[in-house]
Amino acid sequence: MEDRQLNSSGCAKDGGKCCGGGITPFLVGLVVSLIFGWWVFPDMIYSKKEQPIRFSHKVHMESAGMECKQCHVLREDGTFAGLPSTASCADCHSDVLGSDPEEARFVNEYVKTGKEVKWLVYQIQPDNVFFSHAAHSLDGCNQCHDFKESELCAQCHPDVANSDSAPTHFENKLTGYSKQTMKMWQCERCHANENHYGVTNSSNACFVCHK
Amino acid sequence: MALDRRGFLKFIGGATAGILATPVVWKSLDDVSIWTQNWSWIPRNIDGANSYVPTVSKLCPSAVGVKVRLVDGRPVRVLTNNDHPLGGGLSSIAAAEVQLLYSPSRMKRPLKRTADGAYVGITWEEAEAMLVEGLKKAKGGDKLAVISGDETGTVNELFTALAAEMGSKSCFIMPGEAQPAAKAWELMGGEGQVGYDIEKSDYVLAIGANVLETWGPVIRNRHAFRVGRPHGEAPAVRFAYAGPVQNNTAATADVWLAIRPGTEAVLALGLANLLIKAGATSPAADFADFKALAAKFTPEQVAAQTGVDAKRLAAVAQELAKAKRPLVIAGSEFGQGGGAAPVLAGLALNALLGSMNREGGIRALPYARKVVPAAMDRKALLQNDLVAWLGKVASGKSAAPQAVVFYEANPVYALPQADAMKATLTKVPFKVAFTSFLDETAMACDLVLPVPMGLERFDDVDTPYGCGQVVYALAVPALAPLVDARPAGDVVIGVAKKLGADLGVATFADALKAKAEARGASFTEPSATNAHVSNAVLPVNGIALRADVLSKAIDVKAPAFPVALAPVAKLNVGTSKTATPPFNTKTVRRWEIQGKELYVLMNGATAAKLGLRMHDRIELSNPAGKFTARVNLFEGVINDTVAVPAGHGHTAFDEFSKGKGENVMRLLAAGAEPGTGLSVWTSAGANIAKA
Repeated sequence: MEDRQLNSSGCAKDGGKCCGGGITPFLVGLVVSLIFGWWVFPDMIYSKKEQPIRFSHKVHMESAGMECKQCHVLREDGTFAGLPSTASCADCHSDVLGSDPEEARFVNEYVKTGKEVKWLVYQIQPDNVFFSHAAHSLDGCNQCHDFKESELCAQCHPDVANSDSAPTHFENKLTGYSKQTMKMWQCERCHANENHYGVTNSSNACFVCHK
Repeated sequence: MALDRRGFLKFIGGATAGILATPVVWKSLDDVSIWTQNWSWIPRNIDGANSYVPTVSKLCPSAVGVKVRLVDGRPVRVLTNNDHPLGGGLSSIAAAEVQLLYSPSRMKRPLKRTADGAYVGITWEEAEAMLVEGLKKAKGGDKLAVISGDETGTVNELFTALAAEMGSKSCFIMPGEAQPAAKAWELMGGEGQVGYDIEKSDYVLAIGANVLETWGPVIRNRHAFRVGRPHGEAPAVRFAYAGPVQNNTAATADVWLAIRPGTEAVLALGLANLLIKAGATSPAADFADFKALAAKFTPEQVAAQTGVDAKRLAAVAQELAKAKRPLVIAGSEFGQGGGAAPVLAGLALNALLGSMNREGGIRALPYARKVVPAAMDRKALLQNDLVAWLGKVASGKSAAPQAVVFYEANPVYALPQADAMKATLTKVPFKVAFTSFLDETAMACDLVLPVPMGLERFDDVDTPYGCGQVVYALAVPALAPLVDARPAGDVVIGVAKKLGADLGVATFADALKAKAEARGASFTEPSATNAHVSNAVLPVNGIALRADVLSKAIDVKAPAFPVALAPVAKLNVGTSKTATPPFNTKTVRRWEIQGKELYVLMNGATAAKLGLRMHDRIELSNPAGKFTARVNLFEGVINDTVAVPAGHGHTAFDEFSKGKGENVMRLLAAGAEPGTGLSVWTSAGANIAKA
């Protein structure tokens, strides 16, 4: 009781400015949490992983003149094969073609052993999301748009066409999903776009994506 | 600067305000919500390329032709195969086959029963040695019996050849529609296997035969029905059904004649009488005798015995007479125990309608030649009456065998007087079951050997009974066995060798190849069906109508009980070999099973007569057995009859079937059909008392 009186008398001496340090502690707390929330936390919740093989999309696109769909194929029945298998890479890389040591490592460790590369996928969706690559085709979107193939892919995927190495894979430590996994609002950029209604088959109805 | 209490609170306040302006709270909430959906037991899709394996179901009695869809080599679903001669739809058993691969009651390794009654896992080497030892004691003089649950497979040739090498002819297949039909056809002087060309018929009258649920190649039949009745167009075929319960066939057909159980032959003779009066005739030598017999079945007499009034009988007779390609199919409403009389009377009707060896009529299909020299052919195998034989063993008229081998058969559950059959089998010192599931029969065996399921093995289906064409379909494995199972055919060949017998084929695959060749089939090229169809038929000459046999066999006596019993078979509850697939438990209706109690069906008039109301608990009893059930009122049952859903009341299998409901087979007592001697159990009755 006495301490409290002493404290209040102390404040009175200081004209009230020293009470709890004024606004400074508040501002310090604000700044600390902002720094933590915007700079530290986002980095803290992900573990960083690199692809098992450094893969250059640029070399394949520019030097070999390939297109996305040559490796990321739609099967005959319309399902999407996703990432190529070691066997399909071996169509060209049955032996080492260039001087890149990563290619030699790929050939020796995977092609020659028949092992599949455990590529890290940036945009795996949970099983309650049904996504058909066949329904999001260049032919369909280019009824109105004028996308190049790599531009259309980059609407959802990281644009790796011009990169010499695949981006770092940020894996959420809690959920296990990649940082780049699309959220629903990102799907809705097109699905909830009024301009698409009546022109495309896109709809924002739940059952279109959630089976 | 020292931080006092107030300053600290201000710091916390600032930090809280700041945190709310960052993604920390919102992102964490979102991540936690995603994390809560990541439980290990939530199934995950495994992505991969689709592939399809055309095969035929060995699990479903309809022998439906299907396609198995695999993703990345893993079977995920059974699909229809419209190109398959036995396809065109899907049965509820075939639909469940992928899930059944992982059934909790699936056999995972060979088991032997120990002295204290428990089962212990053993290796295949131990199992085969035990089998050889057991069979050695059963050499000579019918000391070995074989009971097969496969009506259409070449594997029967290997089992029967092994039995023959051991000096036994006691080989049987589980009772079905095929045995009475074979008997009737043989009595009439027909050659080969009787076939029904439903696809080309414009009027199908099914008497008893539950053609859209349990009779013959059901899915092929349903496909014919669908094709004959295109949506929005005039139907090209009419279906009529006669049976005691408005089952799935009756509910689908254009006409349903409600008849008392066991009076199928009476109805057929009543129709024959009307057709003969309208001018129908037959070149059969005994037509005059048949005419005289049929004349006794006046519409009034038929009405008294079957419950069908004269007008409705006359209407069906007229429709039959008017049809261009009528076809009559007679059988049992629950797929067994019907005797030869209904089939004989049904075939006689076909003869009067000019349907013999006619498109859309009756076809005589050639049997395939044997490919295992010592084997019993299908015709001979169909002549053996399992129920009669077991009856003789029970009464001591026949000596009990030293060993019985069961192949995908569950007689302990599925034969009439199931309790007595089980007791009879205890007389056999050594019993072996080849099975995929630990069923009631396996639980009564000394040695249980797991066989790969239909989706995991090569096997075949040769012209199921009822099919209008010769069809040879190959079952092709969609995956390697998930358990330590071996194909029964190969085990039998190996065991025969150890017993010093050469069955004449090196592997089961060789036997299948030889059978395919015998049917003129070649499976060297990839095929969309792995099935072969032949239009080969045998001549139908000199058919007799066998009034002499019919006059004795028709002697149906109404059961001396307050109510008659009408078992109702449905494919969705599985077979005695599978029990109810977990996949199908949702299809069991609300008032079919509640908890563990079975509901039986009767109409309002019957219930009123018995003083019963909906949901009343009753006891059904007769000398064969008794059980309790509850009452479900359903107007689709003929008067004084209780319809009992079949396929429930298992005492083995898993939590989805064991102890659920009651087994109607416990109330069915087999008797001998006068004139043919065949075992029949379609005329059962029961006392009803409130329980």
